[in-house]
Amino acid sequence: MFYILGKGLSNVSKHLRFFSLAAIIVLLIAAPVAAQDALKTFTFGEFGDPVKLDAAVVTDGISFRVTRQGCENLLEFIPGTTQPGPGLAKSWSVSDDGLTWTLQLEEGVTFHDGTPFNAEAVKWNFDRWRFTDHPQHFPEAVFEYYEAQFGGFDDDSIITNVEATGEYEIVFTLSQPMGAFLNNLAMSMFSISSPAAVEKYGPDYGTPAVGFVCTGPFKFVKWETGVETVLERYADYWGEFTGNVDRIVYRPIPDNAARFAALQNGTIDAFEQPNVQDIPAIEASDDLYIMLRPSFNVFYLAFNYRIAEFRNPLVRQAISLAIDRQEIVDAFYVDGAVVANTMNPPTIAVGFNENIVTPYDPELAKQKLAEAGFPNGIDRVNVLAVDAEGNVTDEVVETIPVRVYYMPVVRPYNPAGEAIGEAIASYLQDIGIKAELASAGDWATYLAQRRNGELLGLYQLGWTGDNGDPDNFIGYFFSAADKPMPREGFYQNARVAELLQQARVLSDPAAREPLYEEAEAIMAANAERIYIAHGPVPLAFNKRVTGYIPSPMGDEKFSTIILTD
Amino acid sequence: MAKYILRRFIEALPVIFGVSVLVFLLLHFIPGDPATVMLGERASEENVQALRERLGLNRPLPEQYVIWIGNILQGDLGRTIKGNIPVSDEIRNRFPATVELSLFALTLATLIGVPVGIVSAVRRSSVIDTVSMLGALIGVSIPVFVLGLLLIFFLGVELRLFPFVGRMTFGIQLERVTGLLTVDSLLAGNWTAFQDALKHLFLPGVTLMTIPLAVIARITRSAMLEVLNQDYIRTARAKGLSERRVINFHALRNALLPVVTIIGLQLGRLLSGAVLTETIYSWPGIGKWLFDSIIGREYPIVQAVTLMIALIYVLANLLVDILYLFIDPRVRAAA
Repeated sequence: MFYILGKGLSNVSKHLRFFSLAAIIVLLIAAPVAAQDALKTFTFGEFGDPVKLDAAVVTDGISFRVTRQGCENLLEFIPGTTQPGPGLAKSWSVSDDGLTWTLQLEEGVTFHDGTPFNAEAVKWNFDRWRFTDHPQHFPEAVFEYYEAQFGGFDDDSIITNVEATGEYEIVFTLSQPMGAFLNNLAMSMFSISSPAAVEKYGPDYGTPAVGFVCTGPFKFVKWETGVETVLERYADYWGEFTGNVDRIVYRPIPDNAARFAALQNGTIDAFEQPNVQDIPAIEASDDLYIMLRPSFNVFYLAFNYRIAEFRNPLVRQAISLAIDRQEIVDAFYVDGAVVANTMNPPTIAVGFNENIVTPYDPELAKQKLAEAGFPNGIDRVNVLAVDAEGNVTDEVVETIPVRVYYMPVVRPYNPAGEAIGEAIASYLQDIGIKAELASAGDWATYLAQRRNGELLGLYQLGWTGDNGDPDNFIGYFFSAADKPMPREGFYQNARVAELLQQARVLSDPAAREPLYEEAEAIMAANAERIYIAHGPVPLAFNKRVTGYIPSPMGDEKFSTIILTD
Repeated sequence: MAKYILRRFIEALPVIFGVSVLVFLLLHFIPGDPATVMLGERASEENVQALRERLGLNRPLPEQYVIWIGNILQGDLGRTIKGNIPVSDEIRNRFPATVELSLFALTLATLIGVPVGIVSAVRRSSVIDTVSMLGALIGVSIPVFVLGLLLIFFLGVELRLFPFVGRMTFGIQLERVTGLLTVDSLLAGNWTAFQDALKHLFLPGVTLMTIPLAVIARITRSAMLEVLNQDYIRTARAKGLSERRVINFHALRNALLPVVTIIGLQLGRLLSGAVLTETIYSWPGIGKWLFDSIIGREYPIVQAVTLMIALIYVLANLLVDILYLFIDPRVRAAA
């Protein structure tokens, strides 16, 4: 090549030779590649890799999207709802005191390794999750959800005994009644793994080399990190298989625009959460379509109660009245999003208070502010000290600007943290509160500061329900009454906590309903937290995909999918 | 020469040690930790503390460092915090992807950049010079994600000429020997796999190539210009040597030193992973993985990979120094 160039690029025929060679290389590279096999393959474009395929020890949605195709629960959410229905347990009953649950299990079910599913296998799984000295309760793994949903490990566990009372009958004994018990059993992390497989592989169970061994319609084939995770239909599956997918391939495509492009050129068949601005193009396409997962989340603005001015209900009401939630929903969310007036979303089975409405009224907001003693608005706010017991005192330690902290990540409940933060700051300025947008750094830093109550101002956050139960929604946030919670901006309301604790131990939805509604009403009356929106999650598909049933909690089974060629 | 190489390598050891300490400290001093990230929205003081304890993150920092470095010296890079997956397995899977893409991009950049630089120097101020230097300026300036997405939509979606997700089409079976798919497919005599791997390399390779290409072309041009003004070039021409011989043997060889240096540095940079290119093209290399690990506070991954990158830089510099020995007799004499 240097020879060619040494001639000073004057020799045209040599140029032609060079470019011909380049053209041949390009044609060679661009030659078509051999066709694939005949299995009907559904390819899902993922944000990234699963963390691990041992559902009991992970908390991320990507891992669960894989495990829930192959690992089944005693109860399963009825497709498209937040209600639990039959799964590996075909029926169940509860004692009058709410402390003993008896479940009848399906017969003739086998794990992917051929070992039988029975009551002993169920007991083994629950014992593994609960007992920290169980040989397969690996110390390096974190059984986070068991601890969160069942009150703790070992003797702290609300499940005090699990007994196989027959080959296909299992009895759970609880230390206290638990309204969310059945919902908990239907959560992806409490799916039943093959005891033989977990014992055989030890801590490697769930890693790329091993994957999962469960009872579901798809079995694990391979997981190559950064490349693909592959499942194939389990021939001996016991249940009904309404779709025609033979194989599922998950391809991690971290960039949203590239995921959209991959859907357009047929590399993938579906993906979750396209960019809001790409949705019109998808809807206009002949080959693609959008489906909305009903929103089961909430986006909120929390007050940090170390700010003296925020302890005044009139100031909080003024702030609530100043924000045009509908405008935010229209500007930043996908169609189908709704204004949030309460913590619990309208899709929740129990505990949605439909009577609460939070109006937008800047004039009334200004009046409230004046009534609170700030006729000229608020320029700066006072930060109060926290004593050794964790209580907020009257001592002012510093004076700071009014800050609106925005989330540095995108979530279905918050599609544009910074832009929404700017909008909120501007609404507050309209009523005379000189709010400024504030960043706390990256997500880990943001979460750490939130946890410690260090986001001194108004801050954004949200929640997506795990199991369809209100105790996992409003109950998760406000049930502690003994002292202000730094994690919740030093929020404390003994009456709200009492109502939520009462509702937690009831099994009857009709008895729980008024308790949750009252708690929401108390919070709304004093504008104790500002709820902004419930956002649905858009899913983008190629039109060859039908039969997908969106679930409010993302609990979607690919075994219902029908692929047409 | 062996002694020289050994000496250079020993000199690099404190650098690697320093990097390990620095990264360890920086990671542990930035706010937020793996427990917080793992718990996300549900992170409360109590459960973060409990999780920190279980993960061993509440031990004193020096103790954590000594445990970690001790394990490294025994060849154990540890396991990921979230998935408890061996870090060494992941590096073994991901590093070949980065190596293959880097070598592809750098080879293209060198094969195009050096000749373009030479021509620009020889034809200084000509149209070719202006166009290529303008191209180089654009090459350095254009954001990677803009170029990447343009290539994807034009060549990948509209014309459907090239794939843009990952390294190989699903369903092609290939036994991994080196992890470099082009090499493995040739070793296996699998022409389909080779074609497919090359097709997958093309768009990320071209995207990744732009900056090194621009840098190499500019450095080659300026080095050549400097050499072409030297007396010995005038002498060579006066002797009646052909222009081709003057350029190729008298000028180019003397101009190569800075070019080789810059290629070496670019190699080090590329082998550290290319976050944006890997993200856009879903390339399973170490760049995006490292980035995600920093965001997720995956200490074992960040520590192992940064240590490896430090080692790569040291080796790339060493390689450049060794090349000097061959190119420059003065360096050879000094060594």
